[in-house]
Amino acid sequence: MMMMNETPSSSTTASSSTIRELIAFRIGEQEFCIDIMSVREIRGWTPATPLPRAPGYMKGVINLRGAVLPIVDLAARFGLATTEPSARHVIMVAHVGGRLVGLLVDAVSDIIQMDGATLQATPDMASDQVKAFVKGLFALEGRMISLVELGWIIPDVEAQAA
Amino acid sequence: MNDAVDPFEAIKVVFFQECDELLGDLEAGLLAIEGGDTELETVNAVFRAVHSVKGGAGAFGLEDLVRFAHVFETLMDEVRAGRKACDDTMVKTLLRASDVLADHIAAARGQADPVDAARSAGLVAELEALTRGEVYVAPAAPVSDPVMDALATDRTGMDAGLAGGEAQAEAPFEPVPVMPGLPQADEFGFRPVVFDLKALDTLPPPAVANGWRVVFRPRGRMYAHANEAGLMLRELARLGQATVTLDASELPDLEAMSAEEGYLSWTVDIVGASESDVRDVFDFVGSDCDTTFTALADVAASAEAAPAFDIAALLARAQAEVAAPMMLEPIVSMAVAPPAPGAAPVPAAGTAPGTTTAATARPAASASPAASPSVTAASAAPTIRVDLDRVDRLINVVGELVIQQAMLAQRVVESGLARSSGISVGLEDLELLTREIQDSVMAIRAQPVKSVFQRMPRLVREVAEMTGKRVRLVTAGEDTEVDKTVVERLAEPITHMLRNAIDHGLEGPDDRVAAGKPAEGTVRLAALHRSGRIVIEISDDGRGINRERVRGIAVSKGLVAEDASLSDEEIDNLIFLPGFSTADTVSDISGRGVGMDVVRRSIQALGGRITIASSPGKGSVFTLSLPLTLAVMDGMVVSAAEQTLVAPLTAIVESLLPRAADVHHVGGHDAVITFREKFVPLIDVAQVMGFRTEPVPPSSGVAVIVETEAGVRAALLFDAIQGQRQVVIKSLETNYQQVPGIAAATILGDGRVALILDVDALVTNARRKPVRADLKMAS
Repeated sequence: MMMMNETPSSSTTASSSTIRELIAFRIGEQEFCIDIMSVREIRGWTPATPLPRAPGYMKGVINLRGAVLPIVDLAARFGLATTEPSARHVIMVAHVGGRLVGLLVDAVSDIIQMDGATLQATPDMASDQVKAFVKGLFALEGRMISLVELGWIIPDVEAQAA
Repeated sequence: MNDAVDPFEAIKVVFFQECDELLGDLEAGLLAIEGGDTELETVNAVFRAVHSVKGGAGAFGLEDLVRFAHVFETLMDEVRAGRKACDDTMVKTLLRASDVLADHIAAARGQADPVDAARSAGLVAELEALTRGEVYVAPAAPVSDPVMDALATDRTGMDAGLAGGEAQAEAPFEPVPVMPGLPQADEFGFRPVVFDLKALDTLPPPAVANGWRVVFRPRGRMYAHANEAGLMLRELARLGQATVTLDASELPDLEAMSAEEGYLSWTVDIVGASESDVRDVFDFVGSDCDTTFTALADVAASAEAAPAFDIAALLARAQAEVAAPMMLEPIVSMAVAPPAPGAAPVPAAGTAPGTTTAATARPAASASPAASPSVTAASAAPTIRVDLDRVDRLINVVGELVIQQAMLAQRVVESGLARSSGISVGLEDLELLTREIQDSVMAIRAQPVKSVFQRMPRLVREVAEMTGKRVRLVTAGEDTEVDKTVVERLAEPITHMLRNAIDHGLEGPDDRVAAGKPAEGTVRLAALHRSGRIVIEISDDGRGINRERVRGIAVSKGLVAEDASLSDEEIDNLIFLPGFSTADTVSDISGRGVGMDVVRRSIQALGGRITIASSPGKGSVFTLSLPLTLAVMDGMVVSAAEQTLVAPLTAIVESLLPRAADVHHVGGHDAVITFREKFVPLIDVAQVMGFRTEPVPPSSGVAVIVETEAGVRAALLFDAIQGQRQVVIKSLETNYQQVPGIAAATILGDGRVALILDVDALVTNARRKPVRADLKMAS
């Protein structure tokens, strides 16, 4: 848990005064965004092969042109309701660490530019689970968008065992 | 590694690749000698390896490497010529020298720090001392004394004849006492210094003293290595004014002639060239031909001493033999003017004066060396060096092709086309071709494990030296072939395990003797194929695992509970736990507590398993079992609770439809099935995997009897068997992580991912832990 908190805070300070291009997506009523550079492609939902003994947010694996791509239900990962995927759901294929991971979201909404200075820290009221992934909040045209840190989307073997 | 690389650098890369092979040959040869091999060819192979390293290093200006290799080579040349016996001390020194040579190469390659100068110098001194320990003066040694040179020359000529004679397995040669200044005929009647060229018009006036005489006798090998005597003669001619004399006296009758042998030799007198320039010409062919270098002044002196004798002896010999035409003209002389444009020496010999009688024989003679390179090239299997990345890319693409082909086939079936339609027929041909391409590509990657095994003797020597133990390494099955990736990734775990076997497993010499064992410990490294996998065994005859101690340490480190009841097997397996180390002090060799943990993980990453069998006082056996290839495997496609799974065919014994009467329940959850009058555990895979919570009656499904690496049998219960198929293995760890019970994934014809079962883990887990259908929900 300690390590989970370290990464978001250290990268917040690093990016505080730069303009970043982000890709925004929707899960239920909430809007999130991630760095556009980490997204490799966006594709529609295809049925995934479930993995045994995997955490509930792991939807399974799909075939991405010959590579085995794990699918993470971001809603479940963030502690929201588990997604029942359908054809209108979207998979964002993103680089996370050295891996390629498919992120299951409701819809991709926008490409936005954000000034690092406008980023506000995640309030203390948020749960540990939220704080592990949301590294800051910012306002855009009256909406609130959470900036997501992907580093800990898939836990390491040790973290899962603990 | 791309096209932009300097061509010179690219050649250098190839040189270093060759060095690796040469070092392997060198070590293998020395070990064979150590083991009692007395074949001259083995010694020659060792000499050639050192010499080739030196030759290549010289071309790249790697001074340190050349200097060291030269000293090494000098001693090897002594051994090769039979002037120095290769006793035990000598072999040990040579082995250490080969290690330092490897260090020099690594340093030149930039892979390692510069070689420890003191160590290198020490070995140089040792090698030189061994070389000097002889009464004779080595011809290849840089002797500057011209008197000694002159004395050495005649003997060298003889030795060359001797070496050549034995290599070609011809008539045994009786050594003739050396008489300095009075050359003797060897059994070939080969007279390097007899025919002085004074009789020829082109001969320079007696100012021969500042030149060199080279006697050059190529062996068949030289032509096989695509060197051409004619080109070398031309190169010599460029150095100064050269007079070339052909000696064809060794040519046998046409019927007796072997197309791949070299029978011709040349004597070249070069005026106005330095010794080093002359020697440089032969740098790359040194071991493939016999050469002697003599200052012309010395030649003149010795030749004048007995010219009449030589001619008489030659005539006598010529008459004594059945007179083949060529025997009347054993030696043809010709002169090559320095630029010598376009005049290839061998064919030109036919135009020399006084050759008419030999006209019929000579074309055959000159054809012999010229024809040999192409003949040899065709008979020896030609090989190419290919960057591994290119092969891997090819394999990946072929993997995609197989998947795509399967998907296409399925679409065609789904579209309802008739089986006899053109498309279906064409698709079947495509499938055959695809399979063939895949097999061929996989064969490219199969490599013997030799390349890894060869590195181990050095490691064992070093570790033995550091620990003060006496160790003999025995290897077996070096030629066992396995996928290149597997071979490469074997080196590290084997290294770790050998270190452990010596450091922890073997006792010191005194303890061993006290325990009634030979003072020298034996570590055995063996590879073999077993049921579609490669098995590597590392065994030692040491003290075995001290279970008391292992358990105590595991408890003290909090790795197991104090009151845990553990079987011997479980205690042995504790050494694989992260952070476990039994070494009292952390040494350079092992004992950092990462060894066996890392070993197990790297083996698992290859889809392999590691098991220990240890008996106290007798030693331990570590067995690695690995797949032959990481890319494809034969699997049985099955379904369980609407999921498609693949079971590795290698683990499957047979399948059967369970009858309700054969299934018996043991306790609340577990069941056994009668199979050949024995009860084997029945594992409901869908339930273990968490795909289904409610058990189904076993009689509604199919039971597949599997056998684990350890020989444990179990029955896996599936809903149905879909068929048998070769599947392309896709790692789950690339983008995710290891999943218990799952070995890997594959992509089926419909484009969906199917999981490949890890039968061993399934059976073992099912045996040890209660079935927990709620696992999927638990986290």
